[in-house]
Amino acid sequence: MKCARCLLQLQRLRPAGQSARSAAQYGALPQSPYASHMLHNTQLQVLRRFHGSPARVKNRPVPAEFINEDDKKRDKSLVAHDDLFERVDKESRTKATFNKVVDVFIKADVRRRGHVEFIYAALKKMPEFGVEKDLVVYNKLLDVFPKEVFVPRNFIQRMFNHYPRQQECGVQLLEQMETYGILPNVETKVLLVQIFGEKSHPMRKYQRLMYWFPRFKHTNPFPIPQQLPEDPVDLARFSLTRIANDLDAAVTVYQLPCTDITESGELLTLPHIVGIQGPSQMELLAKHNPSRPVFVEGPFPLWLRKTCVHYYVLRADPLPPEEKVEEPYDPERCLVYPLQLDLDLDRDFGDEESFDVEDLDEGPVFAMCMTSQGDQATLNQWISGLQQNNPILGQVPTLFRLNAGPKELQGVGDTESEHHRKPEQETQREERQPEEEPEVLEEERPRRSHGMKQ
Amino acid sequence: MYPTNVSWDWLCNAARGEQFLREAGWERSAEPPAAEVLQESLQEARLRQGPVPGSGEQGGGLPYPEIGNEEVEEINQLVAPVERFFNEEVDSSKIDREAKIPPETLNGLKELGLFGIMIPEEYGGLGLSNTMYARLAEIISLDGSIAVTLAAHQAIGLKGILIAGNEAQKQKYLPKLASGEHIAAFCLTEPGSGSDAASIQTRAVLSEDGKHFLISGSKIWISNGDMADIMTVFARTEVLVDGVKKDKITAFIVERAFGGVTSGKPEDKLGIRGSNTCEVSYDNVPVPVENVIGEVGGGFKVAMNILNSGRFSMGSSSAGMIKKLIAMTSEYAATRKQFNKSLSEFGMIQEKFALMAINAFVMESMAYLTAGMMDRPGLPDCSLEAAMVKVFSSEGGWICVSEALQILGGLGYTKNYPYERYVRDCRILPIFEGTNEILRMYIALTGMQYAGKILTAKVKEMKKGNIGTVFSMVGKKLKDTFRSSVDLGLTGKDGVVHPSLAESAKKMEQNIYLLGLTVESLLYRYGKTIVDEQLLLKRVADVLINVYAMTAVLSRASRSISIGLRNHDHEVLLANTFCTNAFFKNNYLMTQLQKHSPENDDANIKKIAREVLENRAYVCSHPLERTY
Repeated sequence: MKCARCLLQLQRLRPAGQSARSAAQYGALPQSPYASHMLHNTQLQVLRRFHGSPARVKNRPVPAEFINEDDKKRDKSLVAHDDLFERVDKESRTKATFNKVVDVFIKADVRRRGHVEFIYAALKKMPEFGVEKDLVVYNKLLDVFPKEVFVPRNFIQRMFNHYPRQQECGVQLLEQMETYGILPNVETKVLLVQIFGEKSHPMRKYQRLMYWFPRFKHTNPFPIPQQLPEDPVDLARFSLTRIANDLDAAVTVYQLPCTDITESGELLTLPHIVGIQGPSQMELLAKHNPSRPVFVEGPFPLWLRKTCVHYYVLRADPLPPEEKVEEPYDPERCLVYPLQLDLDLDRDFGDEESFDVEDLDEGPVFAMCMTSQGDQATLNQWISGLQQNNPILGQVPTLFRLNAGPKELQGVGDTESEHHRKPEQETQREERQPEEEPEVLEEERPRRSHGMKQ
Repeated sequence: MYPTNVSWDWLCNAARGEQFLREAGWERSAEPPAAEVLQESLQEARLRQGPVPGSGEQGGGLPYPEIGNEEVEEINQLVAPVERFFNEEVDSSKIDREAKIPPETLNGLKELGLFGIMIPEEYGGLGLSNTMYARLAEIISLDGSIAVTLAAHQAIGLKGILIAGNEAQKQKYLPKLASGEHIAAFCLTEPGSGSDAASIQTRAVLSEDGKHFLISGSKIWISNGDMADIMTVFARTEVLVDGVKKDKITAFIVERAFGGVTSGKPEDKLGIRGSNTCEVSYDNVPVPVENVIGEVGGGFKVAMNILNSGRFSMGSSSAGMIKKLIAMTSEYAATRKQFNKSLSEFGMIQEKFALMAINAFVMESMAYLTAGMMDRPGLPDCSLEAAMVKVFSSEGGWICVSEALQILGGLGYTKNYPYERYVRDCRILPIFEGTNEILRMYIALTGMQYAGKILTAKVKEMKKGNIGTVFSMVGKKLKDTFRSSVDLGLTGKDGVVHPSLAESAKKMEQNIYLLGLTVESLLYRYGKTIVDEQLLLKRVADVLINVYAMTAVLSRASRSISIGLRNHDHEVLLANTFCTNAFFKNNYLMTQLQKHSPENDDANIKKIAREVLENRAYVCSHPLERTY
């Protein structure tokens, strides 16, 4: 049980980026656990190969000069593997080069010396190589672990935390997959079984991932595609249909973005204007009292994954209660049955199904639009476009209540997005972690007791 | 003669279900003289109500409507040639194939006088009663296209002139309509308006000289639209009500000869293909003011009356069709052999025949009971009963026709046999003349309105928590639990039902009693908002329809057994079987109507529908989908 808790604490200790440090720590005191394992591993031929004494290093074959260079450095420091990745050009950091580095490591030493450090370093470098969402790469990384070595052989091993560093490293790898929302596959499972055995911590982690991930896959009833449309018009179309959530609503492109050169030689950029309006909104607008103004308001932000778009609405104030008119009951309306009963009885309290919530009348929204340029002139163009189908807009006073345009906002967002997002994510993670803690502990408890029984 | 020892208060509770019982004559006569007066007046009318002399005490007073001997002979004389004509001259498969009734067939129908069955003799029609009309409808329905053509002509097309027209209009139009020289159509439905009168767009504007209305607009799905010479058209007119200008519906007689009437391409339909259905457009058709049916602005009532009076005949039509199908399929079942056994020996085939027989019997009983009630003097309003007949027979007809096809299996599915045509023709029944859904609303709400008037005071007392009312309610409930069964006096010494049907009558009594309680609790729970509870109303309507059907079969079978009609034992068998079945159905429906009943999953049904409709698609993931 202590081992499990240790493992957990270790996991918590390492939020991001200091894997190298921790690896160094582990590297500093390898002797004692190794020695103790050596005792009962001596009879195992397979294992002996891996746990060979430092004295045998000189007998090691020297396959490539690449490794030779590496060797020199490793003598000095254990951050060498980080270096391995660092050596790849900033420009050419791709999946192919990442795989190459891993291949180099695998081929370098048949004993895979320092594989834990290597994997930590690799995990850290994955986003830089743009492979943080690639399952194949994770499996390849997992493949770096030597097989069958860490599988517990007897009940005592099984009871205690067998090869904690390696197990923890495996868990860390799976955790990174979890962070990026990558679902492991059967290959991952096979590798984990080969490396750590059926009931190891990484295996448990895998099982937990497989339990929750599929269940949460469709929790969002309004999924956002991984790849958002690039074209601003398409993006606007997508966002507007998403906000309106009305299958009848029609998207109209009032103006396509284009750049023109005027006669005087000036560069003229026309912003795109995309609007949406449903038939029920049209109906509402047609009924609108022309003496009351309608408002164009905005911009309001809408976040789609990591992009922020802005939209504008055309709305009116809610009707004051004295102006609300209920349609009078017309007994000569339905040809077959009475639409109202002439009874003096109301619904019984016990069958009242409406909840007593404070109903705040927000006023109708008649239409929405998105544009890249939120000034009054552009929005006026939208309103005049709307007027074709909603003639009443010609009589109604239209007021523009615009906040600071999205232009600066977006400009800031574009340049700072990288900086901005990082801390945001981190704060999110920090917030989330304390919440997760009790949950994880809850999760652990039954498993531990289960382990004890065995 | 009539049971006098029963308390009928419960029945007043039991919605308007009570009224048809009363109209069927099962009413306690508080004052015997009144009953006698009623009886005399009835004898004066063509129908004889009350005891048949010499038919014994039991069931002697059964009120199943009868017609006089002369009339029986008259109708038999009339039926024979019509039947012969339909068997020999009418080629239904050709009519279906070519989607047209040949002119010689139409001429034959005209010669038989079938275009003016209910038009009085002084206008050149046959002047038959509703009962006789129902009898003829049995035969006419053997061809769906002809039945619909004739029904559109006289059940709705010229009905407006008949029931609301003035003498001059009758003189002018009825003779030619009765002879079939002119064909009538009923033009109400519009692209945007089915049963919603408020969305009628066709407009009639008074011309400047005040002598004409100019009608503009278009009507869709007009039966006989292409060949009609005289049309009953409903249009919006401006009327002054209390000094305020208002739009109201007015009915007009429009002749095609007025000009400006154009009809569109005939619709290509699933069934009743020989009948002509098309769009009719009016472009400033000048209609003289004297062609207004009833009053200007009074068209809504006219339309409602026409529609209400046209429905009752569907019962006998369906029954006629099923009777014919029974004859045809039983021939097949008796000759077709499988495993050295004829089909008729297999239980599942037998079940189908029993089903058809029971359905035909019930429809017939309901249709003629209703027709008889309508034939009483004073033009009684039987729209509720007619609606019940329509709903029951259109749905029963559909099931029976499809089962008949099933008996023949693959053969029935081919065009070599008429079954597939019957199935196609039959599908229109639940749709036209008011869909069954909307008619169920009518049935249930009429009942609720009636019950509500009586019960409002009581329910209010209960809601106030009046101790006295509550105690008396509890006392009543306790008494009911101790009493073994409900006795409403249908059976027993003074009962009106024959002892061989006593069991069934008891079941009906129980149903009616429970219905009373159910309706009361519904009113308590929902009050006037019951209008929005369609799922509940549907069940109330179904129970009412079943109870009316039980009334009809019990009454008919009692009469048959009492006067010794041929094969009355078979009728009793059918009646008892139907009543047992309906009893269970009713009990189930009424259990569903109880609060917190586990059988009632309305909330789930509504939720499913809501989720599906939000997506406008089937919501579930495909079973082959996976998430990992």
